Amino acid sequence: MLNSKFFKAMKKNKYILSLLAIAVFLFSACTDNYENFPVDQFTNSYFFSKTDSMGVQVRQFLNSIYDLLPSGHNDHGGDYLDTATDDALSIKQDDPDVYKLLVGRYSANTRIRPAMEWSRYYEGIRQVNVLIDSIEVVPIILKFKNVDGEEKALNHTIKAEARFLRTLFYFELVKRYGGVPLIHDKIFKLNDDLELPRNSFEECIDYMVSELEDIKMDLRSVTMADNTEYAHAATYEAAMALKSRILLYAASPLFNGQTISTTKDEQKELVGYTDYDAERWKKAADAAMDFIESQGHKGNKSNALTKNFMAIFLSYYNKSSNPELIFFRQGGKSKTVETKNGPLGFSGNALGNGRTNPTQNLVDAYLMKDGKLRGESTLYPYNPQKPYENRDPRLDLTILHNGSNWLGRVLETNQGGANNPTGSAEYTRTSYYMRKFMGNFGATPEYSNNQHLWIIFRYAEILLNFAEAENEYLPAPSKDVYDAIIALRERAGIEKGSDKLYGLEPNMTKSQMREVIRNERRIEMAFEEQRFWDIRRWRAAEDIFSTPLRGMSIVKSLSSVTYTEVDLVNVVFNERQYLFPIPYSEVIKNSNMVQNPNW
Amino acid sequence: MKKFILISLLFSTVTFVFGQTFTQSGVVRSIDGEELIGVSIIVKGTTKGTITNFDGEYSIQVNPGDKLQFSYVGFVMREITSQVGKTVVDVEMAPDQTTNLEEVVVVGYGQAKRLTMTGSVSSVSVREIQAVPTSNIQNTLTGKLPGFFSQQRSGQPGKDASDFFIRGISSLNDDGNKPLIIVDDVQYSYDQLQQINVNEIESISILKDASTTAIYGIKGANGVLVVKTRRGETGEPSINLRVESGLQTPIRKPVFLNSYQTALLVNEAYENDGLISEIPFSTDDLEAFRDGTDPYGHPDVNWYNEVFNPVALQGNVNLDVSGGFKNLRYFITGGYFSQNGLVKNFSDPLDAVNTNYFYRRFNYRTNLDFDVNDNLNMRLDFSTRFMNINEPGSMNATGEIYNFERMTPYSAPVLNPDGSYAYLDTKDFRPTLNARLANEGYKRSRRNDINILYGAGYKLDFVTKGLSANLRMAYSTIDENFRRVSRGSSGYPTYKFHPDAVDPLDIEAGYYTINPNQVYAYSTYGITSGVDQALSDLNIQASFNYARVFNINHDVNAMLLYNRQSRTHENSASVPNNFEGYTVKTGYKYKNKYLVDVNLAYNGTDRFGKDNRFGLFPAIGLGYTISEEDFFPNETVQMLKVRGSYGLVGSDAAPGDRYLYRQVYEMGGGYYFGENPQKYDSYREGAIGNNNVTWEKAKKLDIGFDVVALNRLSFTIDFFHDIRYDQLVTRYDIPLILGIGVSPVNVARTQNQGFDGSLGYQERIGQVNFNTNLVFSYAKNKVLYKAEAQQRYPWLAETGKSINQPFGYKFIGFYTPDDIALIQAEDSNAPAVPNTDTPVQAGDLKYQDLNGDGVIDDFDKTAIGKPNLPTTTLGWTIGANWKGFSLSLLFQGSFDYSFSIVGTGIESFKSQFQPVHQKRWTLDRFNSGEEIDFPRLTTIPSTVNSAEGYMSDFWLINAWYTRLKTVDISYQLPKRNLPAYINSMKFYANAYNLFTITNYNKYQQDPEIRTNSAGDAYMNQRVFNLGVQVSF
Repeated sequence: MLNSKFFKAMKKNKYILSLLAIAVFLFSACTDNYENFPVDQFTNSYFFSKTDSMGVQVRQFLNSIYDLLPSGHNDHGGDYLDTATDDALSIKQDDPDVYKLLVGRYSANTRIRPAMEWSRYYEGIRQVNVLIDSIEVVPIILKFKNVDGEEKALNHTIKAEARFLRTLFYFELVKRYGGVPLIHDKIFKLNDDLELPRNSFEECIDYMVSELEDIKMDLRSVTMADNTEYAHAATYEAAMALKSRILLYAASPLFNGQTISTTKDEQKELVGYTDYDAERWKKAADAAMDFIESQGHKGNKSNALTKNFMAIFLSYYNKSSNPELIFFRQGGKSKTVETKNGPLGFSGNALGNGRTNPTQNLVDAYLMKDGKLRGESTLYPYNPQKPYENRDPRLDLTILHNGSNWLGRVLETNQGGANNPTGSAEYTRTSYYMRKFMGNFGATPEYSNNQHLWIIFRYAEILLNFAEAENEYLPAPSKDVYDAIIALRERAGIEKGSDKLYGLEPNMTKSQMREVIRNERRIEMAFEEQRFWDIRRWRAAEDIFSTPLRGMSIVKSLSSVTYTEVDLVNVVFNERQYLFPIPYSEVIKNSNMVQNPNW
Repeated sequence: MKKFILISLLFSTVTFVFGQTFTQSGVVRSIDGEELIGVSIIVKGTTKGTITNFDGEYSIQVNPGDKLQFSYVGFVMREITSQVGKTVVDVEMAPDQTTNLEEVVVVGYGQAKRLTMTGSVSSVSVREIQAVPTSNIQNTLTGKLPGFFSQQRSGQPGKDASDFFIRGISSLNDDGNKPLIIVDDVQYSYDQLQQINVNEIESISILKDASTTAIYGIKGANGVLVVKTRRGETGEPSINLRVESGLQTPIRKPVFLNSYQTALLVNEAYENDGLISEIPFSTDDLEAFRDGTDPYGHPDVNWYNEVFNPVALQGNVNLDVSGGFKNLRYFITGGYFSQNGLVKNFSDPLDAVNTNYFYRRFNYRTNLDFDVNDNLNMRLDFSTRFMNINEPGSMNATGEIYNFERMTPYSAPVLNPDGSYAYLDTKDFRPTLNARLANEGYKRSRRNDINILYGAGYKLDFVTKGLSANLRMAYSTIDENFRRVSRGSSGYPTYKFHPDAVDPLDIEAGYYTINPNQVYAYSTYGITSGVDQALSDLNIQASFNYARVFNINHDVNAMLLYNRQSRTHENSASVPNNFEGYTVKTGYKYKNKYLVDVNLAYNGTDRFGKDNRFGLFPAIGLGYTISEEDFFPNETVQMLKVRGSYGLVGSDAAPGDRYLYRQVYEMGGGYYFGENPQKYDSYREGAIGNNNVTWEKAKKLDIGFDVVALNRLSFTIDFFHDIRYDQLVTRYDIPLILGIGVSPVNVARTQNQGFDGSLGYQERIGQVNFNTNLVFSYAKNKVLYKAEAQQRYPWLAETGKSINQPFGYKFIGFYTPDDIALIQAEDSNAPAVPNTDTPVQAGDLKYQDLNGDGVIDDFDKTAIGKPNLPTTTLGWTIGANWKGFSLSLLFQGSFDYSFSIVGTGIESFKSQFQPVHQKRWTLDRFNSGEEIDFPRLTTIPSTVNSAEGYMSDFWLINAWYTRLKTVDISYQLPKRNLPAYINSMKFYANAYNLFTITNYNKYQQDPEIRTNSAGDAYMNQRVFNLGVQVSF
C-alpha cells in the first residue's frame, strides 16, 4: 500500500494512536468558533446597571410599565368601552365583545378583556416591585424639582412614578373586583406561597391613598423642563387626581352603603365597606378641593379648563393652551381614531368604518343651548324634526349626526343616505357616529395624522368629582357645587342666562343637583371610559337599563326629512354584574381566593 | 459470515459412498434468481453433506429416498427427497421472513443477533419496504414494525411524511415524543430522515426499551429509529437500475353539492334564522340553477373538478453500483424522485409561471470502506440531497375550495364567455381560484443536504485480543431557501359578465365590469427570496470496542464511547446546541443461553443549567434462551427465549425557550413619546427562570418472549410499562398574582403501557412459497400528575385521562319543538340552554348540563372520545411467490382513536355544502323519522351548532380504519431468457393505499388527517406504480 511503512511504524508505536486521538479532539475544539452563551439576551443587571449614570436602561424598563396603562381608543375588541353602556352601540352585529359586556354574557371562565383584566395589572405590580427593589444601585446623576421646587435625585422620581403606576393598577383592579390581594413590595419567587387571600376593600383603599401621600413629594410637577420626552410622566398633579378618583369611588353607593348583597360573611368586606359613612364623601370632596385650591383654578392655576374642548385630546399640556391635561397615555401621530370611527361613506384617506354609534339616549342627555334639558327650555324649545338645533355645543363636538359638517360635506345619515348605506353589511345602528377625539376635520376633504392622547385624568373630572362628593356630603348644594358645574358649562359654551346660572336652577335640592351632576359627567366625559364604571359605582345600572337603548331612524323623502326614534336593544342588568368575577383559574388555584357574590 | 460457513463446512464435510448411490447435482438459487453460494446440503439423519460453490452449484452422492436438507442463513430450509433418475435438481430457496435464528439487526452503535438479544427491537430490511411507492421512509414503515405508530397528515408532494411515534406517546410536551433518529450512528432530524432515498438503506430498526436506548441516555426516552445505509462487499461490481413511474390519485375526492342543492340549503338557513326578507334566492334563481340555462348569471361550478386533475404523475429512478476489490469496497448510488401535484396547469404559456404543487429530489451517496492494512480500516461516506418543493404562492388550494366564505358553486363562472377570468361576487371581490392560480405565482423551496462521515477503525489485538478503537466524525449541513414569485391579487384584471346588461358599445359581448379592486393591466411579478433553514451539525465519536469469546462458552463484549455533537442554526440568533457524553455498553453471554447486557450512559446537553446538564442513565437486560438448554427438545420448538429489561432513559426536549434556567428580559412593543413621536424601547422581565430545570426521565420495563416453532412459525411479544416523570410542564396551579410567566418545571408524570409483537408463519405448498406476518401494537397512556389546579367539578380534570384527551360537551340529541316550548314557557323541566345570544331552536344540538345549573357553559365540558393518536395499530403482510412471480399484500389498520373536524371542513356557511348537510335536521325530516346527521342549518356562525365554538361528541368519530396499504406484484424473468450481461430483470407493479374501510365517511376526509383540522389538508394519495429493475 501507498504508505505502509508509516503504518508499520505506527503499529509499533502505540502512542501515535493516542496522539491521533488527541489531535482530533483539538480539531473539534477549534471548530467551535461560536459563543457558548446567549450574548444577545439581557438580564436584570443590564437594566439596573452600576454604570448607567443617565438612567437610560432603567427608563427602558420603566417604559414597559407605562406600556401597561390602558389605552381606551377602540381597545375592547375594536370598540370603546362606552359601547358597552347606554351611551353607544358597536356597529358590529356579529356579537362583539362589548355587546357581551353590555348584556352580561360572560362568566368567571369566559372572560372579556381588557374590561375584565386581571393578570395584566399584577404583571405591572410585579414590574414596579422589581424596579423599586433594584434601582438603588443605579448611580443616576440627573436631578429634578418637585412641586415645592425642591431638588430630588431622579432615582427617587423614577421610583415614585413606578409606585404611582402601581397604585393606578390596584385601582383598576379594585373598581373591577372590590378588594384584591395586596402584594406590597414583595417579588415572589416560584416556590413562595402564592395562596394569598384578598384584602378587604377598605384595606385596599387605605393602601392606595397612603401610597399616593407617600410619593407625591418625589414626583415632578407641571410644567416640566422637557415637555416632549417627559410629557407623559406621572406628576404630583396626577397623583392627586388619582387620589380624588379613588376617594370618590370609595364614597360611592356601590361600596359605601349599598354594597352587593351577599349571604357569605367572607365576601362582605371584599365588596365594599361594611357600613355607610357620610364622612367618606367629605374626604372625597376635600381631596378634589385641595387640588382645586393648590394646583387648580383657585390656586396656582397650573391646571384649569382648556378653552377649546376639542383641543384637550389632541395636544400636550401647555399652561396657556391646554392646562386641563393631567395624565394620559401617549399615542402616536396617526389617523386611526378617525379611520376606525369616522362615518361610513368615505374612501381613501377619508375612509371611516363607523365603529362607534352613539345612542339616542346619549344625544338626549345633551342640554339645550341655555343649559336646560331638552323639552324643559322655554328659550329653545325642542323640535323633534330639527333635533340638533340649539343644543349644547358639546353635542356637535362629541357626536356626528345627520346634517353635521364633516370632511367638507354635509353628513346624510338617513336610511340609505350617503353615510348610512342600506344593503351593505354594516350601517350605523343609531344614525350617529362618534366625533370626540377626532381632529378638526369639518372642512378638510380627508383625514391627516393627529396626536391622539388617551386621557386618564383631566381637570374637568376634578371639578365633577368635587361637585358630586360635596353635594352628597352636604344637606343641600353649596355655592362651590354650583361653581364647579357652571365652570364646565361656561367652557362648553352654554349661554350664561340672565341669572348667570348657565341653566341651573337656584336653590336646587340635593337630589335635583345629583341628577344634574350625573348628567353633566355623562356628557362632559362621554367615551372616556367613565360611564361604564360610573353607572356601577352609583349602583344605578338596573335603573338605567330599565329603558331600552334607542337610535334614530331618519327617512328622507323628496320634500321632507322625518326623524323617528326607535328602540334597539333591551338590557337586563343582573345585580352580580356590579362587580366582575375573579378569574375561575385564580379561584381554583388558590384556596384562599374568595369569588365575588353569585359568580 | 458466508465465508466462515463456507470454509468450516468445506473442512468438516466427509462424503461416504453407498451402493445404489448416484450423483445428484444442480444449482441453488434464490427466488430472485440469484445463485446462492455456500448453501449447506445435508442428508437428513447423517453427517453427510456438501455446500454450493461460487456459482451456486452442488453435487452430492445420494441414495434414492434420501432426504436432502438445504439450509442457508436468511433463507427457509428446504427438504428434497432424491429420486432415481433425477440427477439434476435445481433448487430455489425463499428468503426467511420470520424464523431466521441467525438474523442480525442493527442496534445502537453496532449489530446484534436476534437470538441473543435481551432488548426490544423491531427491524425491517430494505427489501420489505422498497415496494412502497412513496418518497418518505416514514411512510414505508407503517404496519411493518411492532411498536411503530404513524399518521400521514397530508398528501402534498414533498410534505407528506407521516408523523410517527414509537410505542405511542408519553410526554406532555409535543417535542418530547419525537423518537431519536440515528443514521449510521449520527443523529438526524425528522426532515433529514425524510430526504433519504429508500434505495440507500440496508435496514431500519426501532429500539423500544431501556436496554437498547439507554446508550443514548438523555435523548433515548422516546425510542430510537436506527438506519443503516448500504455498503459494498468484495466481489464483482453489481450494477442495479430501477426505473418506475406511477399515477397518483386522491384516496378520497370530496363531493360537494351543486348550485341548486346549495341554494336550497342556503335559503333554508335564512328561513331558519327568521331572515325571511333576506332570503337570497328567488324561485326563478333556483330554477335557473336547476336547469343550467344561465351559466353566467347562475353558474354551477364544481371547483374541485375545475382546479384539480384526477391524476398526477410520479417517477423514480435509481442507479447503484456496489462491489469491492481486495482492500476497497464501494457502494455508489444516485436517485431521482419526482412527484407532481394535482392542480391543473393554469400557467400562462407566455410566462410559464408554474404554480402547481411538485416535489423533485436528487440523491447521491458514496460509501467507501478501505482496508489500509490488516489492522486499520477507514470509511468515507458522502451523501447529498437536493430537493425542490413548489406550491402556489398565496394559498392552499384545498383550503380555498372548502371555504364557503371564499367561494361557492354559484359565485362565479370558471371563465367569462370571452375567456377572461371572473371574480367572485362576494364582499371582497376575490378572483376565482383558477384566476389566482394562474396569476398569483408560487413559492419554491430549494434545499441542499450534505452529509460527510469519516471514520477509522484500528484493531488493537496487540494490546489485548478483541480490542479495537474507532473514531468517527460526521458533518452535515442543510441549506434551505425559497424563492417566491408573486403578483398580488390586485395585479391583474378579472371581470364580471352581465348577461342581461345592454352595452351600447358592444351588444354581442354583453357587458363586462372590472373587479373594483383590480386594474386593467397585468403588473409584473415580484420576486422575493429568503432563508428557511441553515444548519450545520458536527458530530464526533471515539470508542473502544471489545469482543471476545473465551473457552467457546463465554462471549464478552464491551464498548466505551465518547460522543459530542454540536448543532448550529446559522440563521437564528441562538448559540449552538451542544451535546456531550460517555456511553458504556457491556454484554455477556454464556453458551448463548444466559444473557446479560448492562448499558450505561452519562451525558448531557446545554439546554439546562450548569448543575443540571449531565445525567446517568443505566439499564440492564437479561435473557434466558431456554431452547439452548441440552434438555430442550429442539425438534418442534427451535427457539424459546424469555427476556426482560429495566432502566432509566431521558428526554432533553423542552418546550419553548432553550434557556429555561435563565430569566431573560424581553423587548416590549416600545413606547412613543414626544410631539413628533419617537419610539423609545421598552423591556420587561421574561418568564421566571427555573434553576432546577432538567431532563425528563423515563423508567422503562419490558418483558418479552420469542418463540420459533416448527421451522415455520415465529412469535414475538413484548409487554412494556413506562413511567415518564419529571416532565417539563407549565404549572397550571400558580396564581396569576405572581405577576409573571413561569418557566416549565419538572413535575408531570405519565404512564404508558401496552404490548407489541408479531406472529409470522411461512410454508411451502407445492411450488408456492407462502408467508404471512401479523404485526400488532397497543400503547395506552395516562396522565398521573400534571400540576393541574383543583377543578370545580371532577369531570373537568385532565389528570387521569390520556395525553391530548379532547374535552367538550356531551351530545344528548337535538332540541325538539317540545323542548323549545318548555324553554319559552320557562318551565322547570325545560332542558338547559347554552349561554349564547341566539336563542336555541328546534334542531339545534342539545348538550348535557353536567352541573345542573340550567346553563350550558364551560363547566359542562368533559372528556369526550379519545385522543387522536390510535392506541392500536395492526399490520398484516401476506406474501407468496411462485416461480418468478411474487405477490405481497399489506393490510394496515389503526383503531381506538377519535377524530373531529371543524370550521371550513364541515360547518355550514364556513364549509362548502356537502352530502352530510342534506341530512340536516328539519321539522319534516324530524317528524318523518329520517336519519339526521347534522343540526339545523343557520347563517349565524357562533351558535351552539358550531363545532368550533361548541366542540362536542356529536362531531367526534370514534374512529378506525383498515386499508390495503400496499400491493406488490412482480415477475422475475428466468435467467435463461436474459442476455448474458444481464444478471436479473424484474418487472413489478405496486399500489399504495389501494382501498380503505373506515367509519370516516361522514366527513369525507382521510382517516389520518389531523383532528380538529379545518379539512383543508392536501388529499392523501393513492398510487399505482409500474417499474422495472435490472441488474448487470
